[in-house]
Amino acid sequence: MEPKLRVENLSVWYQRQPALKHVTLSVEEGEVLALIGPSGCGKSTFLRTLNRLSEEQVGVRVSGSIMLGDLDIQESHVDVTQIRRRVGMVFQAPNPFPFSIFDNVAYGPRLQGVADPGTLRKIVEQSLRQAALWDEVRGKLRRPALALSGGQQQRLCIARALAVNPEVLLMDEPTASLDPLSTAKIEELVGALRGQYTIVMVTHNLRQAARISDRTAFFLDGALVEVGPTRQIFTAPQDNRTEQYLTGRFES
Amino acid sequence: MSTPSVTDRMPRRTAGLAAGLFALVGIILVASLAAGAWPMLGAPRAAANLIGAVWDPLRGRYGVAPFVVGTAAVTLTALVIAVPIALGVAVSIVHQVGALGRGGILRVLTVLTAVPSVIFGWWGLQMVVPWVRAHVGGPGFSLLAAGIVLALMILPTLSLFFAQALSKVPNTLKEGSAALGATPDQTLLRVELPFAMPALVNGLVVGLARALGETMAVQMVVGGQTAIPAGLAAPGATLTTQIFTDMTAFPPGTAGHAVLDIMALLLLAAMYVLVRTAERWGSR
Amino acid sequence: MVRGRRLFGLSAVLAVLGMAGFVLVLGSLLKSGLPLLTWRFLTSSGNVGIGPEILNTVVLCSITMIVTVPLGLLVAVYQGEYLRRQSRRVRELDHLRATLMSAPTIVLALAVYRVAVGWWHWPVSLLTGALALSVINWPFMVTVCRAALSAVPDSYREASLALGASRFETVVRVVIPAALGTLIEGIGMALARLAGESAALIVTTGVNVSQHWSLWGPGETLAVHIWYIRTEGVVSGRDAEAAATGVTLMIGISVVLWLSNRVAQLFGRSEGGYDGT
Ligand SMILES: Nc1ncnc2c1ncn2[C@@H]1O[C@H](COP(=O)(O)OP(=O)(O)OP(=O)(O)O)[C@@H](O)[C@H]1O
Ligand SMILES: [Mg+2]
Repeated sequence: MEPKLRVENLSVWYQRQPALKHVTLSVEEGEVLALIGPSGCGKSTFLRTLNRLSEEQVGVRVSGSIMLGDLDIQESHVDVTQIRRRVGMVFQAPNPFPFSIFDNVAYGPRLQGVADPGTLRKIVEQSLRQAALWDEVRGKLRRPALALSGGQQQRLCIARALAVNPEVLLMDEPTASLDPLSTAKIEELVGALRGQYTIVMVTHNLRQAARISDRTAFFLDGALVEVGPTRQIFTAPQDNRTEQYLTGRFES
Repeated sequence: MSTPSVTDRMPRRTAGLAAGLFALVGIILVASLAAGAWPMLGAPRAAANLIGAVWDPLRGRYGVAPFVVGTAAVTLTALVIAVPIALGVAVSIVHQVGALGRGGILRVLTVLTAVPSVIFGWWGLQMVVPWVRAHVGGPGFSLLAAGIVLALMILPTLSLFFAQALSKVPNTLKEGSAALGATPDQTLLRVELPFAMPALVNGLVVGLARALGETMAVQMVVGGQTAIPAGLAAPGATLTTQIFTDMTAFPPGTAGHAVLDIMALLLLAAMYVLVRTAERWGSR
Repeated sequence: MVRGRRLFGLSAVLAVLGMAGFVLVLGSLLKSGLPLLTWRFLTSSGNVGIGPEILNTVVLCSITMIVTVPLGLLVAVYQGEYLRRQSRRVRELDHLRATLMSAPTIVLALAVYRVAVGWWHWPVSLLTGALALSVINWPFMVTVCRAALSAVPDSYREASLALGASRFETVVRVVIPAALGTLIEGIGMALARLAGESAALIVTTGVNVSQHWSLWGPGETLAVHIWYIRTEGVVSGRDAEAAATGVTLMIGISVVLWLSNRVAQLFGRSEGGYDGT
């Protein structure tokens, strides 16, 4: 089967400084791919090039190709907003807009021109259900999103991303700022979304990667060291740098 | 940013157009003043005439020195009076008012920054001019009266800036100093003021700009005399008040109006220098 | 007084001195002005009231705000949302803005006078005054909008862009709503500042109230009226009238500031933003 995302020879520079070097990596449809690696190795950079969010920053240069299906998203005639509707993103710190819960989730559909209240309500409910938040917020959709707890806010951000019906979901350390209980809920949620969405998730929590991902990719110093089935990476890594990292002999 | 989205093209162009128009307005402002000033600058012995101390348009003498001196005297007087008081207000706000009252005081100060300058001018005529006449001598209309009125006018702005500067000093620094046995005074002098200095200077520059540019409040009490003033208690005029009083007296195109344009350019240049100074100091 | 706190005592004395100054200004204004402040005074024209002056002030401020709020917002959006932060063009525009904002209003009025009255042959009129006020207020509005927009956290922008919004959609649907409180408060400050402007208006809109009101006719404002009757007026005993006009103006300004603060709080004014520069 064709992979959902095919990244070939991807390099990224901040000004002159290389942050990613010749990364080649495919993501299969419907799988959960975990990205691990020490701080500053380029995981976020990698994620942010997949929806071209990196180009909003100053002095970023990208080379190589990123195929989403059979579309090369790097090509200049491709409208970046279209890419981002197909590739959703959830950030490290929950960042709901200072609007109501409803308006947060309805934001993406409204951008695409959905104005009918009934349709919007349906999308919002469905997205909140998918993000396992519906039971906690039903009847309170007009409340400000910022009044939710951190874990609820993060699930709201996931619902917001799901509401535009993306094919790929990028998650950059989505549980880094959450308590253990909220973390467990998000992990459960990712498990439930597997198969339906293609998920690429950065995490610093190795056990989390082991628990929820199908495959794991290990980055070091801007390069992809190895990628393989999660079980294999954690039990029988091919590269001894991976083993050193997993056994805690790197600063992370 | 390299490839903006299609939906961004029109808005980006519109916003860019507005910014271009903004820059154009700035250029037209300077250009129209320069165009007005041009005939005067080309006149024989222009520099000597302009730098001169005699303002006598009927005889073609256009020395701007009296106004430069007047502006400097009024502004300095205002700062000398207002800066210590503003520092006092700021220290009191930061150290002696609880967090609750502080918000209220800052709001009141903000409202006071919006008191129109004519009202200060009115008060100057009502109280300051008679007071100067009675206690300092002279006609009362004077550089001193203008300085006092101006001092009160820039006081809220200065106080706000100073209070903000002082409140940004981290508590850990103050406590650290106190823990070493410094008295509150010593902490204020040796830790808080030095730490806040860039922000204080920035506030000072803003206050200075306001004082330099004020027209109405000064014009109402300064007396309008166009000779080099004999002292603070003597009447005088400033660059702004002279532009104000003479711009309708000398229609555009006359030499008198051209000199006003030169004075305006001088003020604009001064403001640009102040802006750059504040930028350099404020970002330290 | 505790030892080692002399400077604090001195500060308190100076602060009281400063407050006393303002009590003197506002107190004497109220004392002379309040007795004259009747309904008839507020609504009549001619020598008995300031009705036309109130109207002219409102009209001038309204035209100016209608022109400069969108223009100021556009420039701020261009600088803050479309240009790269810290780029040279952003810095140059900032220098221009700051210079024009601190420039004496009479200097700006002198240039507007030359262009509008000298070159275009506009009469000294409300419209010429509105042009001058717009030139005066544009840089101020840009400053207000720049401060308000940059107080909005970048994480909002990223979230919106990541959902497939264009920069424009992000600005309209996220950044401006999030900054609305601060913007409204800044607009209040701008209005207060405009209502108090006098020097620039004396030379561009004049000191007369015309019999047949028109935008192309002269139109004295409240602030100008105070100056005119207090310094140029030949009739004596009009100090009190000037004071009453001043009280009216101060009440108007206070109401504008209070209202904008209330409304801003309604829209959740974030801390930061315009700080009185
Ligand atoms: N905006 C930027 N400008 C310049 N350099 C940057 C920028 N963002 C990231 N970098 C650099 O690029 C490299 C990769 O950063 P990146 O954020 O992708 O790492 P990361 O693997 O996500 O780290 P972490 O685990 O700490 O989130 C780092 O060396 C970082 O310093
Ligand atoms: Mg990261």
